[in-house]
Amino acid sequence: MNAKQLTAKDFITIGIFTAIWFVVEFAFGMLGYIHPYIVASYVVMLPLAGAIPMMLFYTKVEKFGMITIMSILIAIIMFVTGMGYLGAPLCIAAGLAADLIAKSGGYKSFKKTVLSYGVFCLWICANYFPVIITAESYRRGLVEAGFSAEYAESLFRAINTRTIGVLLIVCFVFGCIGAYLGKAAVKKHFEKAGIV
Amino acid sequence: MKRVRLDPRTKLYMILVVSSIVMMSATTPLLWAVRLAVTAIPLALLVVEKRYASALRFSVLYAVALLLSFRFLSEESTGVFQSLLTGYCGIVVQFMPAFITAWYVVRTTKIGEFMSAMQRMRVPDGIAISLAVVMRFFPTIKEEYAAISDAMRMRGISLGGGSAVKMVEYRMIPLLFSCVNIGDELSAAAITRGLGGKGKRTSVEILRLQVFDWLLIAAFTAAAGFFVVFKYVL
Amino acid sequence: MKENIIEIERVSFRYKGSAEGLLEDVSLRVKKGELLLLTGASGSGKTTIIRLINGLIPHYYPGELAGSVTVAGRDIRRTELYELAGLVGTVFQNPRSQFFSVDTDGEIVFGPENIGLAPEEILRRKQKVVREMHIEKLLDKSLFALSGGEKQRIACASVSALLPEVILLDEPSSNLDQNAIENLREEIKRWKAQGKTIVISEHRLWYLKDLVDRVLYMDAGVVRREWSGRDFAAMGSDEIRALRLRPLAAPELLAPDCGLACAGKDGCAMTEDLSEPGGGIVLRDFYFSYHRKPYLLRKKRFAENDPMLSLRIARLVLPKQAVVAVIGSNGTGKSTFLKCVCGLVKDCGGSIELDGKIYRGKDRLKLSYLVMQDVNHQLFTDSVEAEVLLSMREKSGARYAAILESLGILAYKDKHPMALSGGQKQRVAIASAIAADARLMLFDEPTSGLDFSHMEKVGALLKSIAAQGNTVLVATHDPELIELCCDYILCIENGKLGYLKKTRPRIGVDGVSA
Repeated sequence: MNAKQLTAKDFITIGIFTAIWFVVEFAFGMLGYIHPYIVASYVVMLPLAGAIPMMLFYTKVEKFGMITIMSILIAIIMFVTGMGYLGAPLCIAAGLAADLIAKSGGYKSFKKTVLSYGVFCLWICANYFPVIITAESYRRGLVEAGFSAEYAESLFRAINTRTIGVLLIVCFVFGCIGAYLGKAAVKKHFEKAGIV
Repeated sequence: MKRVRLDPRTKLYMILVVSSIVMMSATTPLLWAVRLAVTAIPLALLVVEKRYASALRFSVLYAVALLLSFRFLSEESTGVFQSLLTGYCGIVVQFMPAFITAWYVVRTTKIGEFMSAMQRMRVPDGIAISLAVVMRFFPTIKEEYAAISDAMRMRGISLGGGSAVKMVEYRMIPLLFSCVNIGDELSAAAITRGLGGKGKRTSVEILRLQVFDWLLIAAFTAAAGFFVVFKYVL
Repeated sequence: MKENIIEIERVSFRYKGSAEGLLEDVSLRVKKGELLLLTGASGSGKTTIIRLINGLIPHYYPGELAGSVTVAGRDIRRTELYELAGLVGTVFQNPRSQFFSVDTDGEIVFGPENIGLAPEEILRRKQKVVREMHIEKLLDKSLFALSGGEKQRIACASVSALLPEVILLDEPSSNLDQNAIENLREEIKRWKAQGKTIVISEHRLWYLKDLVDRVLYMDAGVVRREWSGRDFAAMGSDEIRALRLRPLAAPELLAPDCGLACAGKDGCAMTEDLSEPGGGIVLRDFYFSYHRKPYLLRKKRFAENDPMLSLRIARLVLPKQAVVAVIGSNGTGKSTFLKCVCGLVKDCGGSIELDGKIYRGKDRLKLSYLVMQDVNHQLFTDSVEAEVLLSMREKSGARYAAILESLGILAYKDKHPMALSGGQKQRVAIASAIAADARLMLFDEPTSGLDFSHMEKVGALLKSIAAQGNTVLVATHDPELIELCCDYILCIENGKLGYLKKTRPRIGVDGVSA
């Protein structure tokens, strides 16, 4: 049997971490509707919050495909929960790139893991795609859906074609920072306890 | 009474349509009517499945949010409280239909049915297994989290002693330990029962689209078509 | 002479990166149709042998493996796990983690579906298994809604449906009450009658003693003793005790019928303990219902005369400085009772009176501490030291060291709690409870799945906690633990109080009830 092939155990691991990750992101995501600037700050918050489970996940990844499949699952879940399909290509592309980067480090190199997680986090910006791509109708939609004009204005001030580049970079940077923090947490707990 | 069992594929189609409609904003009363109609169907289905509590809770939440956003909040709402309220009503109004549908589907679809549907739709086994585990794991996370939060209350550390980092750490670390353990045992038990074999997996869930399925598919297709036509064409 | 179906030849094994679970040059043969029991202390290698036979070693748990394992003529090392699925079935210890589906029907057919049987054949097998096991009532339910015993029955059914020749059970009774163990016993009996080869790793012996053909006693990775089933069953209790095994005699104590002597308005009290003023802890008005689900808002109070109550305790006086066993069958309200008493169930009112002070609502949390069945849920920090300090209101280095010392875990103070053994984790949780100045210590099944030595240690610990002036309530199905350390027995049935009685001088003596 090819040792590089994903086994049932790997698929179960992917499922478990996707579920945990989704719950974490959802809990933090709910905060976003308090104010649009918080929506924009997803790029800081979500990479940091998701870092602990993800770094633990990285310790279990040894084969190509696990991160990619996770990103596919996230894209599916995003779609199912009404976040739209516009972000799906970015999400899966980010997952695939993250997988390739981690693979180039043999899934062992910590440097590559940091980069990989930074890239993986770019999917978070996929959440903003509807805001940017369909800006005008989205704004109308927001106001008609009951959001105040102020909310909509702030949202567009924070997220538009000009800021998206910045948001992507911030996302990546905080992904990398998150990776360091997450790794520290994994060291502090899981390595010390001897389970990874 | 014979239970109405929807084909899982019908349910997936429902999700597809509802999340598409949710993404397109409703701009006229007519479009709102369509949106409400597609929200009412999963609610009604929840009632059929005897999940009265969830159905009631969702309906009330959705109704209140709708009422608040239309009646009391407008473009001019400002201020912290108002924007907070606007925000939450916004999310509820916006995502509730998709959420209700997803909830209905996850709660009423058996893992076996789901796997069978995935296989019929030629989704690779790996993705099907992973998704099935995601579905299986939500209730587990809920159980584990409930126990952990009990333990936190007992120790008086629910607020992490005032530190946000601790608050997250105390919740997440035991949860991850538990989930990894359970996952390990779950994999072992699944693999010794042949999961992941080379042969083709079979299923006792015979999928057949019945009258009711076709009716729903037709209704949802009509709703989606109607929505698109009235929003973008006319 | 029957042929051997399992042959383990000179196997040594060590888990990757660990010194535990060593097997040293173990050889063992099991004949077709034989029922073999593996017993011995935890960590003696019983589970490792089970894992060798079902192939989890080396395919799932990697490590250094020497020697050969053959099952039904197949070399396990060269056989993929999924190829073994129709041949070897395993029932695991933890009922919560061994199911893949969410619904019971799906779980029973899960194995046969995986190995690709025709749907008609699978349904036929499912019907047969359901009929044989009498589990019609469990069909079409969510597995999350079942009790541990019911989950374990579904696990057995799921294994049965694969029609394996060899069935392995890894400490299957750990989380079960007596009724559920009886069911398990019936199942094993049926498998035996069907000619299956069965290997069981187990601490509890009473339910197996007249079924087994052969018994192996393991110690530190080696098979130390071997008996025929008949010789084993005839062993004296002294000999059993010398081997540090659980007794062979069936427990008579935990009959689920409590009678409802104390269910009334006045409740229960051990009057002789209340002769001095303030001699007991008085619980009043604990009412709670799971069935009355509030739809939107939580319901604040449950009335005493509510017919749907899951817990109905008007008044209960518990003695101080004593260990009280809380018994009753699974799902009868023991855990609910504990959670309500310590104030974890928000909707459950009720007050606790101790030394003239009355504690209500959240104050109950400060007075009491629950050591959970799965103690992993209540360990939060990265060292034993930090864990105990977290609970102290006034941090005192001397005091925490004294607490750890008294529990015998001072040597581990810098270790991560999760790196410790189950028993040590439990001690860490107890240390936190003492550090938090809890007076009422509650334990939910502290000895489920423990071998005799560990159970004995827990018993001694509970006694010493009570001796320091605390009241200990311990929900348990473990008759040996009760015999060892409990002063009183409190029986709960359907959320109502059955009786509260003294255990001494001897368990099972009637007429001591209050």
